[in-house]
Amino acid sequence: MPKKATEDEFSRKALGYSKFYGGKVGFAPKVPVRSLDDFSIWYTPGVAAVSKAIQAEPGLSFEYTGRWNTIAVVSDGSRVLGLGNIGPEGALPVMEGKALIYNYLGGVNAIPLPVKTKTGEELISLVKALEPSLGGVNLEDIESPKCFEVLDRLRAEMEVPVWHDDQQGTAGVTLAGLFNALEVTDRKLAGTRVVLCGSGAANVATERLLVEAGSDPRDIIVVDSKGILHPEREDIDQLMLKNKWKYEIALSTNGDRVTGGLRDALQGSDVLVAAAHQGPAAIKPEEISVMNKRSIAFFLANPVPEMLPAEAHAAGAEVVATGRSDYPNQVNNSLLFPAIFRGALDVRARTITDSMVIQAATELAAFARERGLSSDYIIPTMVQWEVYPRVAARVGQAAVREGVARKELTEDESMRAAMATIERSRKVMNQLRNGGVIVDPPE
Amino acid sequence: MQLRHAKKEDLDAISDLIVRTKRLNNEFDPLFAVVSDAKPRAEKYVQSTLGAPGHLLLVASEGTKVVGVIRAETRERIFYEPHKEGRITDFYILPEYRRKALGHEMLERASAELKKLGVEIVVADVPAQNEIANRFYAKRGFRALTHQFGKIP
Repeated sequence: MPKKATEDEFSRKALGYSKFYGGKVGFAPKVPVRSLDDFSIWYTPGVAAVSKAIQAEPGLSFEYTGRWNTIAVVSDGSRVLGLGNIGPEGALPVMEGKALIYNYLGGVNAIPLPVKTKTGEELISLVKALEPSLGGVNLEDIESPKCFEVLDRLRAEMEVPVWHDDQQGTAGVTLAGLFNALEVTDRKLAGTRVVLCGSGAANVATERLLVEAGSDPRDIIVVDSKGILHPEREDIDQLMLKNKWKYEIALSTNGDRVTGGLRDALQGSDVLVAAAHQGPAAIKPEEISVMNKRSIAFFLANPVPEMLPAEAHAAGAEVVATGRSDYPNQVNNSLLFPAIFRGALDVRARTITDSMVIQAATELAAFARERGLSSDYIIPTMVQWEVYPRVAARVGQAAVREGVARKELTEDESMRAAMATIERSRKVMNQLRNGGVIVDPPE
Repeated sequence: MQLRHAKKEDLDAISDLIVRTKRLNNEFDPLFAVVSDAKPRAEKYVQSTLGAPGHLLLVASEGTKVVGVIRAETRERIFYEPHKEGRITDFYILPEYRRKALGHEMLERASAELKKLGVEIVVADVPAQNEIANRFYAKRGFRALTHQFGKIP
């Protein structure tokens, strides 16, 4: 296990600090209370006028309330991190952390909201009922295949964007890294053979985005715990009934009808995206070494990647990415989701389409490219915070072009709106710290 | 795509499809758990059907590849009219050849062939829980004739 000491240190601090602060995020007012008289404006009787205006025109709830910038970070706790089904209470610290990142990097007012639902249907009706209060929904840590049904239904049935970060977020940031990894190794997406190892939330969405971005599905091979997916696999009818997303992938991918296991899939392939097993030895060097020359390998399992970068390089991979910040090329959702929602919320988008995600990935990739690509730098890092408003503006523009925006901003307006909101969030943090409201933790 | 009577060379491919049918039934109902030696049993089953009088074995093939099969046999309904029945016992199409009206075509062709054998009513045997089969036949004007109830004693 790499960095064991550091991880123990993080765990110790996380426990101590969480208790010290009593949680990571909380409500903060946006309006001044100069005297108690102000409550006649913010509350009754004044507020009734605002209510009546919104009643007459419900869309005004995006102008007169904080709805335009508010999302819920919803989880049923059924698949939290790599911990499995730990329940909604167990999910709460994770959702708080997510909300903090949304706020700090994207200026989004995100409410952590784990819920006690069992079935997908219950979760769907609960989230739908929350719609009047929200500008968007971030679904998080929901088991597969339940998460597919929940996301598809909510995207179709709600009038605000619904995002499942484990699907669209991971897939989007993977795509961004892949665009540049292809550039570094002189490839185009079309004609590149991609192997996806694991067929959970992330890779099911990655497959869809790859195809939308220009991959021929016949050049994609998906491998799960039972081997390579293909239309005549023994369990194909079971997939049809139990996981229609995987079933469709089995029917449309793998044009050469490769059968067998991961090694068979990798033979003659250019790219591996593994989002499957905890490492560090879940994938073997002899599997990587059968790939084409100048191969690309993403190991996205957290906290321990399926294979350590040094080993993958030794086995012949030229560009290696992981989900970790302590190796080069961190494929990290946090690069994407704050900016995606910033852009979507600024134009009051009704949904986040796959092509908006591809636009975000393209901008993320362009940002890194402008700074000079290498096999150790294919994707921006989280500290390059100028990337967020840029991606947000690109997403906003895509929403306007696709006709899913309620508010039609120009690219420049989108960029300025995003910067203003993100800067405000950082300013709030600085002021709270400088003013002694948020104190440093005791050691 | 070609619809034709099965040949000896199709034996292995047809047996595979028959086993898949049974496995699919099991997905709907645990009382259709498939035996471990289903494949050799299917081979015997298919062999005894090939060319047997009163039996029908049609395949859909693309080139040399068998992609679908329908098996039926004629029976007497001794107490009822219509009297002569064509019973569809097995019907399977590989996933990537579905949703292309091939099932409909195969059923039409099988019905026509059965009619040639003097069949007056076509009946299909499917597990009660197999919603896909239920929908398929209902959509084509078939209705449930008998209910078979089962229980482990």
